[in-house]
Amino acid sequence: MDVLFDGVAQALSLLFSGDEETWAITLLTLRVSIGATVIAALVGVPLGAAIALGSFPGRRVMLAAANTGMGLPPVVVGLVVTVMLWRSGPLGGLGLLYTPTAMVVAQAVIASPVVVALVAAALRQVDPEFLVQMQGLGATRLRALAALGVEARLPLLAAAMAAFGAVVSEVGAAQMVGGNIAGQTRVLTTAAVLATSRGEFGLAIAFGLVLLLLAFAVNLVVTLAGQR
Amino acid sequence: MTSRIGCRYLRVTARGRELLHVESLDVAARSALAVLGPNGAGKSTLLRALANLGGLHRTGQVLLDGRPAGPRELRGAVAAVLQRPILRHGSVAANAAAGLRLRGVGRAEARRRSAPWLDALGVGHLAARSARTLSGGEAQRVAIARALAVAPRVLLLDEPFAGLDATTRADLLADLRTVLDGLDTATLLVTHDRHEALALAGRTALLVAGRIRQLGPTGRVLDEPVDVDCARLVGFTNLLPPAATGRTQLCAARPEHCAIDGPGEVRIPGTVRRVVPLGGATRVDVDTAAGTLTCLGPGEDEPAPGRRVVVTVADQHLRPIRGRELVEEPERSR
Repeated sequence: MDVLFDGVAQALSLLFSGDEETWAITLLTLRVSIGATVIAALVGVPLGAAIALGSFPGRRVMLAAANTGMGLPPVVVGLVVTVMLWRSGPLGGLGLLYTPTAMVVAQAVIASPVVVALVAAALRQVDPEFLVQMQGLGATRLRALAALGVEARLPLLAAAMAAFGAVVSEVGAAQMVGGNIAGQTRVLTTAAVLATSRGEFGLAIAFGLVLLLLAFAVNLVVTLAGQR
Repeated sequence: MTSRIGCRYLRVTARGRELLHVESLDVAARSALAVLGPNGAGKSTLLRALANLGGLHRTGQVLLDGRPAGPRELRGAVAAVLQRPILRHGSVAANAAAGLRLRGVGRAEARRRSAPWLDALGVGHLAARSARTLSGGEAQRVAIARALAVAPRVLLLDEPFAGLDATTRADLLADLRTVLDGLDTATLLVTHDRHEALALAGRTALLVAGRIRQLGPTGRVLDEPVDVDCARLVGFTNLLPPAATGRTQLCAARPEHCAIDGPGEVRIPGTVRRVVPLGGATRVDVDTAAGTLTCLGPGEDEPAPGRRVVVTVADQHLRPIRGRELVEEPERSR
């Protein structure tokens, strides 16, 4: 019992004393996760919207692929990105392996199918005649699409939050392409893994608490927005 | 009559199949045209082609004030109400203002201009309610107020009363007629219900298989069908061949004008197939040499199935029509 108790006490003191390393790791985690979520949204929202609203061949196949991609094993993504960025790999010349940029790329790959599938589902909840009706009131196509986005804003927000939640708690790919280098590519999950393996439970619990706090904040935003 | 909205040689095709082919159609300001047609006749397609909605593959011209109009002019002039009232999240007042907001009018101004229309459609008292709590009839009233609030020069109604119960529909039709009579708007109503055409539109076009078969004052179109399809569409469902009537032409009659053993001049013997009580009236189907005829009467001492009877129609209720073989079938282009 002492281990747990001491761990939590140590964790709290680390967090509230403003331990520089802990905060640096937290900030990097946020930077990488938000960056990956933004990229996934830039890729996934148009693609999900096209799947939901368009009528082109291969639409169903793409949706099935996106749904499958939601369960994409992060380790596989990490492996593929690592191979791509390996010094002798196809993109090795960029020298990105073991950098935060590589982590953003890997996590964007993990998050994109989540965004695509959830955006498509979100937009299909709205009446299929919605765009026609908005244009029938004098909206341009662009304005009608914007109105559709506003109408489906809650499920769209949920899609972004799900993507963020997937990447912020992900450990396999972050470890593989980032390398968990202290002060450079160490994020909350990889730091927690390392601290745990070294028996530094206080530190590991501190990282775990911050992760929990982030997850809670994300869900709080979604829930509050949902009640507007 | 100067045309507010119209079309010339309007054709819509989908995957090589022709859905609609209207050579000419015009609706004047301060008037309403009903487009009456069976399901799948292309009614909604016509309405959407006129308003340039829904990404149809269309050729030909849409005219606004007699001049060819592009998407921008149409967008500015037209407001459409669809069969299902598609309201957005938010209050009734916000929904009524949505059309104006989509056209770039500021929030306060849009609310101010749309509020009177909620009153005119009888839903002003619901302004503060959430649109999600409305009944079907209330929601459709809000949708119509939303369309009228943009002061459209052309109002397009795509079966907006189809999902409503009879009482709600009758009330809404009456209210809408009152509102439209005071407006400088050209209204086009698409419907499969001839009673709606009668209630709202001075002129009616019959659309069958993508083509306009008949066009004229509503009263005349509903009473003088030109061919078999038109007759069926406006309720002349009994077809009487020359052999049965002694006339030179195929004739049609309404079931409510056909009686069992009545005083009518035209008399057709047959056997009762079935008797269906319909509340106030009774429907009797009779097998005759001319096919099955339907009689709709008050239903006092209706005959039993199997009995020999005579179906009678007064001369004045017969309408000579063209047979199907004389009707030009729309060509299918591949």
